[in-house]
Amino acid sequence: MIDPKKYENRTITEDGRLMLAKAEKDMIETVWDRHEAQQPQCGFCEMGLSCRICAMGPCRIDPFGEGPQRGVCGADADIIVARNLGRMVAAGAASHSDHGRDLVEILGKVASGEAQGYSISSPEKLHAVAAEYGLETEGKEDLAIAAELADAMMDDFGSKKSHLQLVSRAPQKRRDLWDRLRMMPRGIDRETSEMMHRTHMGVDNGWDSLIVHAARNALSDGWGGSMIATDVSDILFGVPQPVPSTINIGVLKEDQVNIVVHGHNPLVSEAVLQAVSSPEMVELATSKGAAGINLAGLCCTGNELLMRKGIPMAGNHLMTELVLATGAVEMMIVDYQCIMPALGTIAQCYHTKMVSTSDKAHFPHMEHHEFHPESATDTARELVRLAIEAYPLRNPDKVYIPVEPVDLLAGFSIEAILGALGGTPQPLIDAIVAGKIRGAAGVVGCNNPKIKHDYGHVTMMRKLIENDVLVVDTGCASVASAKAGFKTSKALEWAGPGLKEVCGALGIPPVLHVGSCVDNVRILVLAAALANTLGVDMSDLPLAGAAPEWYSEKAVSIGVYFVASGIFVVLGPTPPVTGSMNVVKLLTEGLDDLVGATFAVEPDPEKAALLMIKHIEGKRKALGLEARNIV
Amino acid sequence: MKNVVVHPERCVGCMQCMIACATAHSHTKATPAALLEVPRPSPRVHVGAGIYNEGFPNRCRHCDPAPCLLACLPGAIYRDPETDTVLVNYDRCINCASCAMACPYGVIRYTEDYKAPPGKVVSVKCDNCVERQHEGKVPACVETCKTGALTFEDPAIAAKRKTGEVARSVSVGEEAREVPGSPTFSLLNALKRAQKIVNIR
Repeated sequence: MIDPKKYENRTITEDGRLMLAKAEKDMIETVWDRHEAQQPQCGFCEMGLSCRICAMGPCRIDPFGEGPQRGVCGADADIIVARNLGRMVAAGAASHSDHGRDLVEILGKVASGEAQGYSISSPEKLHAVAAEYGLETEGKEDLAIAAELADAMMDDFGSKKSHLQLVSRAPQKRRDLWDRLRMMPRGIDRETSEMMHRTHMGVDNGWDSLIVHAARNALSDGWGGSMIATDVSDILFGVPQPVPSTINIGVLKEDQVNIVVHGHNPLVSEAVLQAVSSPEMVELATSKGAAGINLAGLCCTGNELLMRKGIPMAGNHLMTELVLATGAVEMMIVDYQCIMPALGTIAQCYHTKMVSTSDKAHFPHMEHHEFHPESATDTARELVRLAIEAYPLRNPDKVYIPVEPVDLLAGFSIEAILGALGGTPQPLIDAIVAGKIRGAAGVVGCNNPKIKHDYGHVTMMRKLIENDVLVVDTGCASVASAKAGFKTSKALEWAGPGLKEVCGALGIPPVLHVGSCVDNVRILVLAAALANTLGVDMSDLPLAGAAPEWYSEKAVSIGVYFVASGIFVVLGPTPPVTGSMNVVKLLTEGLDDLVGATFAVEPDPEKAALLMIKHIEGKRKALGLEARNIV
Repeated sequence: MKNVVVHPERCVGCMQCMIACATAHSHTKATPAALLEVPRPSPRVHVGAGIYNEGFPNRCRHCDPAPCLLACLPGAIYRDPETDTVLVNYDRCINCASCAMACPYGVIRYTEDYKAPPGKVVSVKCDNCVERQHEGKVPACVETCKTGALTFEDPAIAAKRKTGEVARSVSVGEEAREVPGSPTFSLLNALKRAQKIVNIR
């Protein structure tokens, strides 16, 4: 028998270790195996010192100073590192923003009656956001407002404006600062496009001006593309409210048709959810010998369904392959982002049908069933039917679902948090002023095989709540903490006395699930609301952010928009910038003078949590609040 | 006599030496074309990963006495006195793997080669790029290495330079110098070590 202890260095999760053993038994190659096979990874690339931008190259800079110090064009280490980082931000911002645009398109099609199965679920939010865009809502039909809002949002993607609409949510001080620093995002696509232009050979060769534009590009994501994605998702599918559910690989059911949705955009997963709920489909499943149809989520599309509908969550990024190894998945439906191209190959070892759905995301060994708003309901029903038909093909000898799911409470949109507080942020401010809650931390981001799976998230969050720091989390981080049991009232046992008292009184867990990775903007909105209530800038607040296990370009954009919004961010894995001490110093020190916040890199989550606590206590002191001395 | 000297502390693990080596041992000597050759050319230098996943270019040391040469009963392995290089005569090689068993460094592989009789698998190892040396070029791995992890020089001179570096690094006082290296690469390595320590906790 394969010893699951062997996998203790790969993941802290019980289901992960057991499934890794199963995967080895089934001779499945996982992301950890491939990571090992890639060692050593190229040091030039790890340091950001390789440049593939033009065909005079590729070039690399010798970090020892004896080999080449300039690329063929003459770019030195500083320029090359800054250009590479800028392009990472551009890719991340583009991903979130393109996701946002897809939602705006659906909103427009709902308005014109061309979107099958989609509707306005939250007229309140539609009216509220429309008002922010300066649209007249009095006496208008919801669909008419939706049409105008979709139009107005599309203008945010273009180049006609001097600033994005939703930056109006940020404190005036912050907006003035962005104007002064030329960081004010003007158009969502414009900033990404300009970043690609600036990093073309022979354009922007100021490593510092490149980083400033990277900040503007990231802000066009945080206060633009992602914020629109979240708001439109809320309008179409409902504003999340606290909802109980379950999590880990044990949410798969041995006697049911298991359909897993993976990716990011709720457009597909919401349509699938409607289809699995139809009596006709349930009847078909029963006729095939299944006890029902079980829908479970993975990654952020899973988070979207969990937040709004309480659909159980099977796992985060590094669990996606292992979910297939259960042999119990009839169908995995993917949309886009973070879907490992390895998945289709792994599914071939089982009866699992793999389905790709986006015209912009194709994968090997997947069937492509494209989703279009005009026929979303039909496509979803067809897929669910195919999944049900795969159920009799399941090989029971290969099925392995080794754990029982863990309970959690999700659904903490800002509206829900304010609801729990009685409608205003004042009780939270009071608790912070009284020192019961020292401050708040956003722990976000991905998994990365470079760090033991979920160890960074769980270790950091435990340390934070022990020290009376309220945690809000999103994305893969939120899955990690929920699996560790941090999202139930029981977790208050691990919280410091003040946090325990406040959360206990409000009936909320010490770690609040605020959503998917585009939903990081909910944290921005909350921070802005706190700052506006107090009449200070966001950088004055006792807040900190962290991405202890990040891997993706999207995470780079998120990190940069938080820092540019005035929130200190600690990264676990090292970004590819160590090749330039100038860039490192700007990111970790110099940005403080510009935007009132910096990055730090700390692979040890215990120490990283300490950095955050120290930062929070420092901000408390500066606000004239009682502060602890952290060494 | 000049030889390839390895400076492991400077290896960034980019594996460009492997690509350059395979290309140098191809029929066409050009990277894209070499990939289309049958048999496909293979590298003689192999980059391995250390405890912190730092790179190490592992290549034949051309030992003297060479265990592989002593183990080769057909007499296929011989020493080229001019370049002090241990070479393999592919016509005589019988693919018995004795040389690999004897090699303490694992730098001998078995594959087809464009210079070997067609279809015959032979013992393939670093030849110090003797052909290139005859053309006045340095070995391909050295030429491609941009960090100075591989140099082509008299080992005695390299050792003397290293002795000087070590001596300066332990000396104290005003004349004390930093260990030659790269603060940026040191930063990356420090972070990688910290990550490793966390992972094995």
